[in-house]
Amino acid sequence: MEQILANGLYLGAQYALIALGLTLIFALMNVLNFAHGQMYVLGGFVTYTVYGQLGLPFFVALGCSALTLAVVGALIERFLFRPVLARSHREESSMLLAAGIAFFMDAVILLVFGEKQRGVPKIVGGVLNWDFRLIMPYDRILIGVLALLSIAAFILFMSYSRTGRALRAMAQDRVAAQLMGVDVDRYAMIGFALGAMLAGLVGGLLVTITGVNLGMGGPTSIKAFLMVMIGGAGVISGAIAGGFILGMMESVGLTLLSAYGDITYLVIFASLMVFLAIRPQGLMGKPWG
Amino acid sequence: MQKRSLLRLAALATLSTAVATVSAVPSARAQNESLKIGFVGVTSGPAAAWGISNVRSMEALAAMLNEEGGVRIGDKTYDVEIVTFDDQKDPKRAIAGMEKMAQEGIHYVVGPNVDDGAAAVRPVAEQNGIIYIPYAFPKELYSPPASNAVLGMVANYQSGPAIYKYLKENEGVETVAFVSANESDPLSQRDSGVAAAKELGLEVVSDNVTYQVDTTDFTPVLTPVIRENPDLLVLSGVAPANAPQLIRSARELGYEGLISTETAQDAQVLSEGAGELANGFISVGGASTPEIASDRMNAFVDRYTKMFGEYNDESNTKVYALQYILDTLAAAPEAVDDVEAFKAAMDGFEAPNPFMKGEDAKLHYVGSSSFGQKRQLAVPLVVNVYRDGAFETLFVAEVD
Amino acid sequence: MGTGLRIAGVLLFLAIVFLGVPWAIQASGRWDFYYTLTSVALLAIASAGVWLTFYIGRINIGQGAYALTGGYVSAILVMQAGWNFWLTLPVAGIFCALVSVLIGLPILRLRGVYFAMVTLVLTEVARLTALALPITNGAKGITSIPLPGEVSILGLTLIPAIDTFGDVKLAFYLVAAALMVIVFAGMYRLVNSRIGHLCRSLQQNEELASSIGVNITYLRIVAYAISSFLGGIAGAMFVAISQSIYPSSFTVVDSVNFMLNCFLGGLAYVFGPILGTLVLYFGWDLLFETGRFQLLIYSSVLILIIVLLPNGLLSVFERKRATAR
Repeated sequence: MEQILANGLYLGAQYALIALGLTLIFALMNVLNFAHGQMYVLGGFVTYTVYGQLGLPFFVALGCSALTLAVVGALIERFLFRPVLARSHREESSMLLAAGIAFFMDAVILLVFGEKQRGVPKIVGGVLNWDFRLIMPYDRILIGVLALLSIAAFILFMSYSRTGRALRAMAQDRVAAQLMGVDVDRYAMIGFALGAMLAGLVGGLLVTITGVNLGMGGPTSIKAFLMVMIGGAGVISGAIAGGFILGMMESVGLTLLSAYGDITYLVIFASLMVFLAIRPQGLMGKPWG
Repeated sequence: MQKRSLLRLAALATLSTAVATVSAVPSARAQNESLKIGFVGVTSGPAAAWGISNVRSMEALAAMLNEEGGVRIGDKTYDVEIVTFDDQKDPKRAIAGMEKMAQEGIHYVVGPNVDDGAAAVRPVAEQNGIIYIPYAFPKELYSPPASNAVLGMVANYQSGPAIYKYLKENEGVETVAFVSANESDPLSQRDSGVAAAKELGLEVVSDNVTYQVDTTDFTPVLTPVIRENPDLLVLSGVAPANAPQLIRSARELGYEGLISTETAQDAQVLSEGAGELANGFISVGGASTPEIASDRMNAFVDRYTKMFGEYNDESNTKVYALQYILDTLAAAPEAVDDVEAFKAAMDGFEAPNPFMKGEDAKLHYVGSSSFGQKRQLAVPLVVNVYRDGAFETLFVAEVD
Repeated sequence: MGTGLRIAGVLLFLAIVFLGVPWAIQASGRWDFYYTLTSVALLAIASAGVWLTFYIGRINIGQGAYALTGGYVSAILVMQAGWNFWLTLPVAGIFCALVSVLIGLPILRLRGVYFAMVTLVLTEVARLTALALPITNGAKGITSIPLPGEVSILGLTLIPAIDTFGDVKLAFYLVAAALMVIVFAGMYRLVNSRIGHLCRSLQQNEELASSIGVNITYLRIVAYAISSFLGGIAGAMFVAISQSIYPSSFTVVDSVNFMLNCFLGGLAYVFGPILGTLVLYFGWDLLFETGRFQLLIYSSVLILIIVLLPNGLLSVFERKRATAR
């Protein structure tokens, strides 16, 4: 039991961090960023290069990942999403752009970093073994704690900083925020950069545990969509809740249903559909987001 | 505003001409006539590593052969040209790829890499007279009435029993558990693995745990399996990207038994992803372990590394496809544009195996006992064990 | 645009599809384009369904599920019940339409990204179901499916066997193209009918539509059922060509591509899916000689097109059309 809970918590922390960036971008610009997973992968490869190949300290590498992705995110917003959103009749059209960017990043990652699965040396060795009731390697615990800290820092930033408040105002009502004097264009760029940065950060964190390969992007995006939907689109607390719920569902589901084997994921996905059909706005979302 | 839409039109026109010119660039070269060999498989996306190790091994070998003056077939000397098509692991695209190969006048194609693609290209290959070498295991692809597909590696229903038998006799393995991704190829491999284990009298303690290929944390997946504490944990059809994480999770959960798979893996990937936790991991490879690799193999590895920056151990197996095609063509020159002649030559074909040490290492076609006809490349079944960043040979066997 | 011009346009399109393309292929010897264009026609049919759900204001990323279902229905009926393929084709479509009514009733209440996400999950559910069910033969798929045979009543051949005329590729192309023409003619008719206008009102404001007496639930279900019907027949046709089906024959990637085809052609244009599919699918094939830079070039061109024409390729003509009216 302890093991299942711990597995779920660890999974939940990493999922929540992935979902946060996606939901932030969605809340600000109504863009479903199909390239989120690719941003995560790019963050992983940056940390792999800086920490694994160049041998610089892990936290430097993590910083590089976050910074690279923030810049990439800002550029994408400024030169791609902004002009397209300004001229398209239906804002869903941005999904095509996001998918195009996802393909493009896949191509660049393949050419630059290659097709192989990559990993880095462990940041800390050893395994916590509590009487065989709970087994957890220390690096996993560390990454879990770092993920939780990042989530907390993000929440504090959104609640108390000037930028965070402006972003929240924009997420609630873009027009009203603009009327109140918020520079919407500037904050959209900052918000997108922030969302991309979170993706890069979690990519850098997770490369130490799971490694990274170019194929992880698409499936990661889709998982992040699921979490966002569970919690409610565009709601920050919802994304966190969604992440932890999906983590727990996988952990508990895999244990309970392991006897039935092949249908585990079928049950997980089918119950998600039923849940969303009953509660269309997710746990905490605005209805009809 | 009229101007603006004109501008757009002009931009579109430029784009399409750019595309047209790019795709029309001729791939000229050669004093020798060129012999085109095709590849249809996956070189982008999550499974890119499979196809890329194929393509690169073909390109590296072709470059070596062309540099040596080309390949002598009958009374002509050819330069080998590799034509590749990325099917993105989509069976519908694989068909398009095979059509492209037919269009290019290619009769010998390596790939596809997965079951669904290999089944989907069958009608096209048979209609157009193309021999293709898939890396997929379904028996009906190779058994009559099918006759154009030639299995490019050792199938897991052939290697599995050999590995289990060896481990049963040498390591005292009695219980075994299977884990696989919930996709067609790994699930089929798991099912045949379970059957093989039962046949050998091993007790299968867990065979229905599956995972999504995009899993980032395998601890929850493996927790129920490890609880059964099997002597041997088989990762059926595991993708190279997933293997290190599975090994790592199993070991960190305190599992101490053996771990094996029947697919080819890469030492570098294992070393980065699982470090010393991967020590003792058993997988199947071609012939590049130092004990059996010939000078030719080592030269090939050097060439590959020089061309692409880094070697991939999966290519140990995959280099054989092109070598077989060329050697069989040399033995039956009229087969260059007549696959029936190729099929006729397959039964009696034999040539020295350039990649393996020893006089009795031969290339020949096998598969009679699995498929009822010789539709498989005899790739040496080299069972490796990973230790500290490299593979060591555990044992070598032959498939009939 | 005058009626005369429109008729001329339709005739020109038909002439290109049924005479121009075979002639051009004959002349250039690029026989491989038959399959590519067959795929384009079939994928365009499935995309047309997605387009229709866009038309009622829903983002549908679940068409792959119905294509897969349709493919399996056809394959199972042919292999296990011994049906003729041509009979299974409409049955596959109708089966998908029925399934979509059951699934649509609860989920069509969702909007925006929520609907999009549920449909995305649906594709994965379909794949996992195909893996788990015994009738689909699970992971091993269904292979060695015979080519479509002839349909005859009392010795009178209604539809000849697909390999009667020797050239299977050409036959499949003509069948697929004919299906595409019928489907898009139907779509055009639908969009310009009373129901089409009502659908458009759903796209803009459901509450308003409902308040003026439109039965929105009924309308949504009908549109979604038609959409799924199209997915089903496209899937079944693909199975006939590849003579095999696996749970991975239609995946999330396909579902996403169907949606992208609609975006690229332009959501405001009935014929957008044809052009979008042609560019996205054919573009990839054309670029195949660029080797490892294929994806890079492909995605760069894609991004450029979107930035230049955010409302789809067909919006090039928008200005002109507006002035012509």
